[in-house]
Amino acid sequence: MPATFYGRCLGRLLLLLLLCTSVSGGSPTDPAMTTQDSNQTEVNSVTKMQAGHESSGPGVATEKLKPAGKENSYNVSAHEILLSGVSGAPLEKNVPVPSPAKVELTCKLDENSNLKNPQVTWKKGNETISHTSKTPNSWTVQLTISESSQLGSYSCILKSEKEVSAVFHLQVPKIEGKEKPVITYEGDRAVMVCKTEYNPKAWTWYMTNGTELVAIDKILPIDKFQIKRQSASVNRLEVLKLSKEDRGVYWCEAAFDLGSAKMRFELRVLSIMAPLKPFVAIVAEVAILVTTIFLYEVYSKRKGKGGEKELDQTERLKSEDNVTRRRK
Amino acid sequence: MPAPAEAGRAPGPPDGGWGWVVLVGAFVSIGFAYAFPKGLAIFFKEIQDFFGTSYSEIAWVSSISLATTYGAGPISSILVNRYGSRPVVMFGGLLCGVGMISAAFCTSILQLYICVGFITGFGLALNLQPSVIIIGKYFLKRRPIANGLAMAGSPVMLCTLALLNQFLFDNFGWRGSFLILGAILLNCCVAGALFRPIGARTALVTAPVTEEGKDAVKRNITEDGPVENKPEEEGGKDCFEKINQYLDFSLFKHRGFLIYLIGNVLMFLGFFAPIVFLAPYAKHTGIDDYSAAFLLSILAIVDMFARPLTGIIANSRWVRPRIQYFFSFAIAFNGACHLLCPLASSYTGLIVYSSFFGLAFGMVCAMLFETLMDLVGAARFTSAVGLVTIAECCTILLGPPIGGILIDAFGDYKYMFIKCGAVMVLAGTFLFIMNYYNYRMLAKEEKERKTKEEDPKSVRTENEGKKNWNKDSTQDGPELEPLREKGEGVQKEMNGTIEV
Repeated sequence: MPATFYGRCLGRLLLLLLLCTSVSGGSPTDPAMTTQDSNQTEVNSVTKMQAGHESSGPGVATEKLKPAGKENSYNVSAHEILLSGVSGAPLEKNVPVPSPAKVELTCKLDENSNLKNPQVTWKKGNETISHTSKTPNSWTVQLTISESSQLGSYSCILKSEKEVSAVFHLQVPKIEGKEKPVITYEGDRAVMVCKTEYNPKAWTWYMTNGTELVAIDKILPIDKFQIKRQSASVNRLEVLKLSKEDRGVYWCEAAFDLGSAKMRFELRVLSIMAPLKPFVAIVAEVAILVTTIFLYEVYSKRKGKGGEKELDQTERLKSEDNVTRRRK
Repeated sequence: MPAPAEAGRAPGPPDGGWGWVVLVGAFVSIGFAYAFPKGLAIFFKEIQDFFGTSYSEIAWVSSISLATTYGAGPISSILVNRYGSRPVVMFGGLLCGVGMISAAFCTSILQLYICVGFITGFGLALNLQPSVIIIGKYFLKRRPIANGLAMAGSPVMLCTLALLNQFLFDNFGWRGSFLILGAILLNCCVAGALFRPIGARTALVTAPVTEEGKDAVKRNITEDGPVENKPEEEGGKDCFEKINQYLDFSLFKHRGFLIYLIGNVLMFLGFFAPIVFLAPYAKHTGIDDYSAAFLLSILAIVDMFARPLTGIIANSRWVRPRIQYFFSFAIAFNGACHLLCPLASSYTGLIVYSSFFGLAFGMVCAMLFETLMDLVGAARFTSAVGLVTIAECCTILLGPPIGGILIDAFGDYKYMFIKCGAVMVLAGTFLFIMNYYNYRMLAKEEKERKTKEEDPKSVRTENEGKKNWNKDSTQDGPELEPLREKGEGVQKEMNGTIEV
């Protein structure tokens, strides 16, 4: 959704710029450019977004239309890590960033912890960045992520007697697929499904030819490969009429604004003989057991028949005895 | 003084010998019938991706299978009444195998519904009923132990199948796994081959003395009481009477049967839902996937041991005569566990809940069929079990969806647990009260029958003449036999004169 929203805004912006240039001769574009540039340069430093825009938007028209409004139309997402004050491995959190957005990262200190009045530094990699706001127990950094270079690991370090830290990994959303190999049979079809939580701009499927990746879409025949779009965030590749040559590694790639994510699938094609061997073995075992049981039964019946006739006789005598006794 | 009914029973159910071999067969058969549909859940994600369907469409496979297994109960009963347990189980095993093998070659979800749902489900129904029935034919004194051991097949098979299915799936994909599972299901035929037919002497209520000599010949015919009356009534039987011959609808006039039916139908409304929602509830409280799955494993393991243990307890001389009370207690205990579950919020609390739930679940399952056998007797049990399963079918299918609706409506799992707990405590109390009444009525009828025995001729003509009404009272004979025997047996056992 952020992607299409972004596209719509861009379209509107271009249209209005055209109108404005035709009317007033290009002046609104300049502030738009400058604000954009200024934001581009403020890569590692924190900006107060609202304040920045208000100060740079010169005329009523631009403020309303928000020419640098790409950023105002960014979604804001807030992420927090609660630190307990116990030093150990740093706490981590993955923050998926599918499209340019404003991200607020907060490190919060547990009230019951031992750390008092720590010194807090925020870092991206090894560079220090300054915070946006702080309250007695939480420190926040507001970032505008508009480029893939802005993704990475942002960490907050709290230092007083001890040092505790937390890391936010800002990255392109991950794809869910199948880690285990996909097992199929000759003549059947194979289905590989890629799913993400956010909607990528595009999906691409690759197959490996030796060591290089070959994109499937355009090159290969339609009766062999079918790519179906189940929804914006789910994509599936069907490989039909499988044969042994089709086995190997396939890749699915989801392209987001800020980068792309890949998922690996391993396809194994078995012949029908593979499950048939255990199948025949088990059927044979069943047949043997059933035959054995029946033969044993016939054998024991024959053995018992001789003695049974005698038993019947004695039973008859006994029961007749009982009846006569009862009648009395 | 032995009653005329007892004279007709030459050797009673063996209570041992070949019976233990039959028990092994029943263990396998019952295990497959209950555990197989649950074990298939491992394949569903892959099949869902393969056919591009939604999760609910796949879940239908399970529901159809369960519905067919329970709904085909009466058909199973009719076939057992007609042909005996062995051919039915072997045919059932064959049907299951064919169903799964054809499922391996399916190209659409509809074909899966038919192959896995209907065909395999029907085959499993033909496995379940006869296995339970034949236990009643081979055991009497040790029947609760036998039932407990046979029903233990379900959790054992579930654990085995869960691991096996995962292994097969990783190595052969879902198609290959279905093919191999079809072959494995054919082992039900082996179990069926072990079910040697045996004459149910307890059915020989109406036999006059002279017929005993012909017992060896009539052994197979005397397995079912209704068929015995064939030579007495020639044509002129309408369709309903013919069905009644194979499926005893007169059971609906049987007081004990009705009590059991109503109590159980009520109980099943809350029986399975907690199992279905245990893992989602655990995840909802923040527990990770593996620990949630571990809770179910704990349940299965405790269940595995609870069932034979319950059988042994139920067989003891203190419990056996009043086994219905023990059953009601088990159901109420189960309900109490569910009512207390919302109080368990931590992982340790949930582990305790799972253990107690496993124990209660095992206790109820072990005695499920034993109590029915105790109420209606081994002869009519064949028809009784068919009628009970088809009635339970509706509530079994309704239970989890109603739970799901409660969860969705309130956004909280505790109402589902409260509902299940309340329903089961209610069912337990109902059964307790009604069985108390039933025991008193039975004692009264026994007293009346004893006074009638002064005149044996009038009893016999009564028996031979009417069919339905006297079946009610005379069939109390076999039920009361174990109770009375237990009473006499207690003293005799203490004197060591009865061989066990």
